[in-house]
Amino acid sequence: MSRELIRCVDLRVGYREAILPAIDAVVRAGELWVVIGRNGSGKTTWFKTMLGLNPPIGGRVERPAPGLRFSYVPQRSVYDDLFPLLARDVVAMGTERGGSFVMPRFGEPPQVRRALSDVGAWDLADRPFRQLSEGQKQRVLLARLAASEPDLALLDEPTAAMDVVAEREAFEYLDHLRRDRGLAVIVVSHFLGVAREFADRAIFLERDTQSVVVGTPDEVLGSRAFRHSFGDAEELCAHG
Amino acid sequence: MDDAPTWADFAAGWELGIYRDPVLCGVLAGLVLGYLGVFVVLRRMVFVTAAVSQAAGLGVALTFFVEVHVGTALDPALGAVVLALLMTAVFAIDPERLRLSREAILGLAYITSWAGAILIGDRIAQEAHEISAILFGTAVLVSTRDLVLVAAVGGGVLLLFLLGHRGFVFAAFDRESARVQGLPVRALDLASWVLIALAVSVTTRALGVLPVFAFAVLPAMSALMLANRLRWVLPLAAAAGAVSGGAGYIVAFFLELPVGASQAIVAFALWLACVPVRLARRG
Repeated sequence: MSRELIRCVDLRVGYREAILPAIDAVVRAGELWVVIGRNGSGKTTWFKTMLGLNPPIGGRVERPAPGLRFSYVPQRSVYDDLFPLLARDVVAMGTERGGSFVMPRFGEPPQVRRALSDVGAWDLADRPFRQLSEGQKQRVLLARLAASEPDLALLDEPTAAMDVVAEREAFEYLDHLRRDRGLAVIVVSHFLGVAREFADRAIFLERDTQSVVVGTPDEVLGSRAFRHSFGDAEELCAHG
Repeated sequence: MDDAPTWADFAAGWELGIYRDPVLCGVLAGLVLGYLGVFVVLRRMVFVTAAVSQAAGLGVALTFFVEVHVGTALDPALGAVVLALLMTAVFAIDPERLRLSREAILGLAYITSWAGAILIGDRIAQEAHEISAILFGTAVLVSTRDLVLVAAVGGGVLLLFLLGHRGFVFAAFDRESARVQGLPVRALDLASWVLIALAVSVTTRALGVLPVFAFAVLPAMSALMLANRLRWVLPLAAAAGAVSGGAGYIVAFFLELPVGASQAIVAFALWLACVPVRLARRG
């Protein structure tokens, strides 16, 4: 069994008060997790708590192996279009870690070109990031994630603005990353069919019904809590 | 019209050192604040510089107040720096914890500093002539000491900003991802505001509130309209600031106008010149 990267132990997440029941989950190297839930269900709050951006309300997040590299792709709405950055500048940010930014850098890190090429976005390298379509931006952010060479990557709806083909390619790329480099990937997605095809593990979060279900994708999609919120999984998967 | 200033008059004044220090100070302040202003504008906090320069003015007034009423002589520049740094502590407050916006906190800080400077100025008005010049400096009369201070502090601030450039940009663009990748985002935030406060306070003391506010906003706006990449925006903004500082003084000399306002208007004219260029370009 591969090594544990992050462990949620009786974890309660929220702002001032818990919004979900306690979460227990273990993420291992090489796993691809999909996070399922309706808008406002607590997915992003759970993400931010695992990443240390929000303090837990209760329980704890354990990182059994010290010195792990984490990377995060937030929801698309957080980026300010005022910033004059090229796509390659954004990808280069992925190569920063800790205090590395004070070290002089001559030329572009090689990971930038490699990552942009791997996601099929090299032609976007010299385009202003703010002028890209949402789908193109998300490909560039995938490249930034790859350039950061993480042990654990968390992506908050990275395929939300992509068409069906681009969305499938993005999942194939994430699948390739975890198989090739052994990193763990946790991704929030509403595309259940594709998610079920690629994911090893799934977690369903629902604030309104106070539900947390952790298991294989089939276990989660077949759970009573999931069916109560979404209806029949087969029908939903058939639509994406 | 025979009394109109000429280049010969300017050259003679330069030789004597009358115009050299104010022009160089204007150029240096414009260069440093033009560069820093890009970060201020990108973070949508242009009134930070106004609030900090008002706080610096309050600091200067306080040092005079202490000298007049307590008898202890303090350096006005020290008062400016201390109050400007205290103002940055206000920015360190997370406004959401007070259920307020950052903009509202800025307004509060600005109004309080402004009112404080007026109240204290009222108590030292009898002893001090040209109170506004004492409070906010004057771009006409810049001493060599002011020039040296602006050069030393401005140069140091610029150097530190260049050193941490990639960190400042990442933390400003995508704060959460920067934190996840281990960058000291809060320290970078604090450092950026402290450095900006230092630059604003010493330049405010030397030149005055108006040109300092103008240099910290308008050159950055011009550069952001012209360039699509930060590595070009920053030097362009610094150059536009330097031109505004120097050319503004020269315009004021020949047209016999107030210097600070002329520097601000030159910065505005440069921005205005950039508008058709921006509109003519697509993307």
